[in-house]
Amino acid sequence: MKDQPTVTRVSRRKFLKAATLAAGSLGIGAGLSACATPPTRAPQQPAQPAELSPTQAPATDAGRKTLVLAIQGFAHDAMKPVLAKWEERTGHKVTLESGPVSGNEMITKYAPAFQSGVSPVDVMSDADDSGPTFYRAGWMEPLDAVIPQETWDDFPESFKQQIEVWHSFNGKRYRVPHEFAIGYTFYRKDWFDERKIEPPKTWEEVVAIGKEFTNPPVFGTMEAMIKPALAFVYMAYLAAQSGGNLFEFDDATAQAFQFAYDLIHTHKIMPETALSMDYTQQNEEYMKDHVAFMRQWPFFWDVARGNKNWYQEGKAEIALPPAGPAGAKSWWGGWGFSVPKFAPNKTEALDLIAFITNNENAPILAKGQSWFVMPRKSIMAVMGNEGLAVHMQRYAEANVPSPRPFHPKVAEAQSIVDDVASLYLTKQISLAEALQQGKERIAALG
Amino acid sequence: MRRTAILICLLLLPAVATRLFTAIYPFFNTVWLSFHDWNPAFPPQQFVGLKNFQALTRDIAVTSSISFTVLFVTVSTLLEIVLGMAIALMLNRAFFGRGAVRAVNLIPWAIPMVVAAIGFRWMYDTQYGVINDLLHRTIGVKVPWLVDFWGARAAVIATNVWKSTPFVGLVLLAALQGVPQDLYEAGRVDGTNRVSAFFYITLPLIMPQIVTIGLFMVVWQLAAFDLVFAMTGGGPGFATQLLAYRIYQVAFTALNFGYASAISMVLFIVVGIASIIGLLLFRKVEVSL
Repeated sequence: MKDQPTVTRVSRRKFLKAATLAAGSLGIGAGLSACATPPTRAPQQPAQPAELSPTQAPATDAGRKTLVLAIQGFAHDAMKPVLAKWEERTGHKVTLESGPVSGNEMITKYAPAFQSGVSPVDVMSDADDSGPTFYRAGWMEPLDAVIPQETWDDFPESFKQQIEVWHSFNGKRYRVPHEFAIGYTFYRKDWFDERKIEPPKTWEEVVAIGKEFTNPPVFGTMEAMIKPALAFVYMAYLAAQSGGNLFEFDDATAQAFQFAYDLIHTHKIMPETALSMDYTQQNEEYMKDHVAFMRQWPFFWDVARGNKNWYQEGKAEIALPPAGPAGAKSWWGGWGFSVPKFAPNKTEALDLIAFITNNENAPILAKGQSWFVMPRKSIMAVMGNEGLAVHMQRYAEANVPSPRPFHPKVAEAQSIVDDVASLYLTKQISLAEALQQGKERIAALG
Repeated sequence: MRRTAILICLLLLPAVATRLFTAIYPFFNTVWLSFHDWNPAFPPQQFVGLKNFQALTRDIAVTSSISFTVLFVTVSTLLEIVLGMAIALMLNRAFFGRGAVRAVNLIPWAIPMVVAAIGFRWMYDTQYGVINDLLHRTIGVKVPWLVDFWGARAAVIATNVWKSTPFVGLVLLAALQGVPQDLYEAGRVDGTNRVSAFFYITLPLIMPQIVTIGLFMVVWQLAAFDLVFAMTGGGPGFATQLLAYRIYQVAFTALNFGYASAISMVLFIVVGIASIIGLLLFRKVEVSL
């Protein structure tokens, strides 16, 4: 017979007492931790300059760290070769996480963590319309000490102003651009060649040529304008061409609004349903041979060419944008890399951001994914004659890029334009009411 | 006696502490914030008294949201109860395959709202949507659902009703099964027809459940967010903007926490009024039994 284990019996009273004390302690502990005031402002100590790449020795086994880099999923494969080089050199590891796809989502996802003084990521790819909010709140680490001047010098002169406005705050730089997003005019070269005509060069030609192609379900042009944000994108594009100051709702902005309205309701060369479309639907329409020309972000270059069953040369070529009263313009913005102030491995994160954005690695990223193609000298030297880079250069030479409209409260200001444009383009208010409402609501932002 | 009281207090402590820091503290913090101007990107935090409340009376985005929220909740709840009752009555009858039909009935309820919203956005598409295709084939019209003020509202409400009605039907089915059959038998002896039996036996007996589920649906739907987030973004214009969606926009895309708290107070008051009406109604129904 095996020995029976000794059983110590606990009386019901003892059990209840112990359980009560344990539960009570947990409750009080949770309560006290909840009472602890989270830091509402970021600590003001200066940035910890990371040692620059060449001097950093590989980490020992005990010192190995795992960093998290958040960037949109489609860019992960392109990141891997560059990250592997950094991992090999430092001995640390980088885990890729799928980052949000818009500025609004960036704020929604990360602001609560940052406000609590923590960060789930070490390095992040951040959007124009969330970045400035994050720096202003003191949630990002200044990069001046870690990004070498040669990286900044790699950007063309035309970038400098944009970097000062969108990537800096109070004289410090917080984000290194990795995407140059400009609205390109994609057009059916095969259809235009067939009719022996050129893509529209002016607003008047947009209407005239658009009418020539319009025969529902085929439309001259198309633009996804569903709320939130997409109506703003198109209004900002047209306001760049009309010379309007979008956040002042001036006369030139009114021209842009009127032109969009006329394309839909007067000339009917853009379907009314565009007002409820997102970019996926817009692209689907184009790839179903229902659109002659349209503005779209650079990602459509890969989307069109990736649709093997549909794509043939000439189906998605790029033309210069049509000229409004202020010329052939298209606004540009994009994404860039940042390091949160509360990054768990900040020193290593600062080294990593300097590494992935340097002049040697930027072209490797660009060759891996068109999202990283920028008019940086190092990138153009490697792939200036390839694909989208050719058109990027062409747009730059034609002086097409126009600055993204800036407002200190950028997310709120953009949402006002979005609301007002949606109300006007769906005939809920007149143009005069739209301008009045826009002005009043922007003024109320302070 | 005193030891028992202490033990009770100690046992309740974890639950009370949890509630205190997950509901009571956030509530009072929201009240406090609603009197402040606070955006982490534009410090410092400042006491502004009633300024946020004054601002929201002039904010067309908020006033429009309130009116659509009231419409959305009222129409949705009424339709859900009427259609839910119809489904419950049908599923309460014995027929071949009733179990399978009951399971199928629950499918819309089991689909996540965001998935349903995106699916319906495509279904309402003027060019390719199955809804317009059916309309075109049967009566020869196409409706630009999501770009028309009333079309978008109808589309959002219909999607919400499609999604929530099965749950209401399920609850009412459970209520129907609790009605004693001998009442119907007694009614038949007295010459009552089916319609009279429904209005004089079924309805009064399940009224407490109708009021309860109605109250639940009102409160849940007042906080609805995901449907318009994924389906219309609150557009066109403000046509389908719900108050909870507006709070999300102000708080999480603009980080304007002070103003968002003020709008949350409005939502709290609306929910409070709806709850009081519901509870009074419930008491009345109970008394009438």
